[in-house]
Amino acid sequence: MKCDKFIEALGTRVKILEVTRQYEDQVTALVELNDLPEAVRFLYYDMGGYLSTMIPNDERSINKHYALYYALSMEGGKMFAGDEIAQDEKCFVTVKVLISPDSLVFPSVTPLVPACVWYEREAYDMFGLVAEGLPDKRRLVLSDDWPDNLFPLRKDAMDYRYRPDMKDHYMEPEYEFLRPEGSGIIDVPLGPLHITADEPGHFRLYCDGDTIVDADYRLFYQHRGMEKLAENRMNYDQMGYLAERVCGICGYAHAIACIEAAEKAINLEIPARAQAIRVICSEIERLHSHLLNIGLACEVTGNYNAFMHIFRIREYSMKLAELVTGGRKTYGNVVMGGLRRDMTGHEIKESLRILHIIETQVEEVWDAVMDDQRQMKRWKGVGILDKQVARDFSPVGPNIRGSGIKRDTRYDHPYDFFKQIQFDVAVVEGGDVFAREMVRYMELKSSVSIIRQCFELMPQTAIIVDPKFHVKPENYALAYVEAPRGENVHWIMQGSAQKVFRWRCRAATYNNWPSLRFQFRGNTIADAALIVCSLDPCYSCTERITVVDIKSKKSKILTNKDLKDFSKTLKNSPMKDLR
Amino acid sequence: MMKLLDISKKYGEITHKYPFEPYKVADNFRGKPAYIYDLCIGCAACGIACPSNAITVVFNDDKSKLVWEFDCGRCIFCGRCDEVCPTGAIKLSEEFELAVKFDKSALIQRGELDVQCCTECKKPFSAKRLVKYSFECLSKANVSEKRLEEAKNYLCICPTCKKTATVATFTSGKEMVIE
Ligand code: SF4
Ligand code: SF4
Repeated sequence: MKCDKFIEALGTRVKILEVTRQYEDQVTALVELNDLPEAVRFLYYDMGGYLSTMIPNDERSINKHYALYYALSMEGGKMFAGDEIAQDEKCFVTVKVLISPDSLVFPSVTPLVPACVWYEREAYDMFGLVAEGLPDKRRLVLSDDWPDNLFPLRKDAMDYRYRPDMKDHYMEPEYEFLRPEGSGIIDVPLGPLHITADEPGHFRLYCDGDTIVDADYRLFYQHRGMEKLAENRMNYDQMGYLAERVCGICGYAHAIACIEAAEKAINLEIPARAQAIRVICSEIERLHSHLLNIGLACEVTGNYNAFMHIFRIREYSMKLAELVTGGRKTYGNVVMGGLRRDMTGHEIKESLRILHIIETQVEEVWDAVMDDQRQMKRWKGVGILDKQVARDFSPVGPNIRGSGIKRDTRYDHPYDFFKQIQFDVAVVEGGDVFAREMVRYMELKSSVSIIRQCFELMPQTAIIVDPKFHVKPENYALAYVEAPRGENVHWIMQGSAQKVFRWRCRAATYNNWPSLRFQFRGNTIADAALIVCSLDPCYSCTERITVVDIKSKKSKILTNKDLKDFSKTLKNSPMKDLR
Repeated sequence: MMKLLDISKKYGEITHKYPFEPYKVADNFRGKPAYIYDLCIGCAACGIACPSNAITVVFNDDKSKLVWEFDCGRCIFCGRCDEVCPTGAIKLSEEFELAVKFDKSALIQRGELDVQCCTECKKPFSAKRLVKYSFECLSKANVSEKRLEEAKNYLCICPTCKKTATVATFTSGKEMVIE
């Protein structure tokens, strides 16, 4: 069976207490707490694994312990040609440990595998599990005014209907940025709201003259607590729609990943036609996401002409989505067991027409952009992600493929209809902004061909089956989908009835952020926004704003509380002193 | 650079003069749900299916009306309500311009239905239209006159009283006649 080889090899290194199989390509090995760093390091570097996700879980009601699951995608190191394992051996191996609720301490894996850093910081935020030896112990996801000693994802942490009292709304919360040593280094803040970055995220650039020496950042300005929401009050029927709202761009990929995780946890196979349509919709999503990012990468460098052209073409991809699903962005199409909407002959014919338009026009505009020397000067050699850094931090999507590593979930772990589809993984050497945009351009082409193949191969079966729930709270499974920005991994543990016990949703950008710091180094301030943009980041809304009225020459900070009070009562506008 | 300008020339002006020139949506577009009061029977299927709880079907305070309420601010335009409604009283329309001024009530749509009171306990338990609809369904289903008359009375009894009656039949020791 798949995965056995890895479990056997792992057994020679550390003592394995228990092995359980979740799905044909997923297996979990329980190891001793002290063996954790070595087990993960061995699978990561020696066996060629990438860290897909890490799931902390409160299992006190099941086995009186907290648990950690390090899920590794085994696909070979891929640093040089031939460093890849055979297609039929690729799988997911999860290393599991149990942590006693009295000590709450586990040995940190980060010193050995840097990719774990964010996951282990988050484990403290959400569950209060302390990673011993973790170099960076700052808060990651919770806001700075969140009360200490309140760990929201513990099952007994709080009554979810109420909000906790924040430490102090009126004070500016403190956050310690990591600052490099040295004289003459100045801080340049970028964000939380900055004109070149379209969403809030706070970057501190440490500059010597015009050159960025190092950088640090604070994100998660609007962590929405969706995992908690799903655990508490959602059933599987509603969860797909919630997952679709994780992200404004790769929403559909999240919806599929979430629903497929639940389907795998109950061992449900969906009809082939539904699989094909899921692939079609997610490829349409890729078309519009990649066009968006290529357009923005032109816009950030001031090439508005190209930006407008690319967005003109992007409109066709939105039209295509509207035609196929009835919504331009939220497709609302996936449910447990299959899909809600089929495709008819008319829709297929019309889709093929639009695809042809997209294909030809993209080619035309891309040729013109490549011809533009000034554009190339801004893209080439900027924001380089070194191959070794990419190996250490497990980034995903065009980010890692732009660094010459052939990592694509559709190819490594073919899900849904991808087993029957031929396509080339787009890989470009170089690791700079240009390489990443090139990967996106190549994927635009492969997406068009994938959709066409789906139309051809789509069988005439039903699009939905009735799910039969075999409820067992210990059942869990991973589902993985290659979203436009990279692999999205969802993990679901069943709860009682039709509810989840724990839902862990790991979006693509989560794996991409930690290595961004290395991409900044050595570039100029002017390129900072471009580098962030080429990562195709996905961040959420803000918590406070400053309003400056240039007429009356007054300014005022509107706090979280002001805004909330006003939205509840619609009285005492916080802006009234300004007028 | 010049190539890009050439492309612009080729395609000319493509901007729509929105809002002066209306935007044409695709067939089957999922816009704001449109509610047809006259068709609604108050069965609450839509309220149960709605993933974001945008639709609620509850009695008002004094239980004199069954209130169907839709809050557009919560709606995610998934179309589940459209799918489950037995009478086609709710359909996703092509409307997508939903902005309102600072007035929450503009987002809310409601319909009040007459309630059906239980013939035994006199308490309201359902909408009149739902009872009527169920009866109509039965009469179309080739049921004998006598049975139909029985059903008419039976439909007007609330679930609680039905349960009580069943328990009473069982405990009274009388023989049950099952046809
Ligand atoms: S469209 Fe969806 S969210 Fe909106 S009312 Fe209908 S079921 Fe609810
Ligand atoms: S008839 Fe349709 S709209 Fe009315 S309550 Fe039932 S499902 Fe909802």
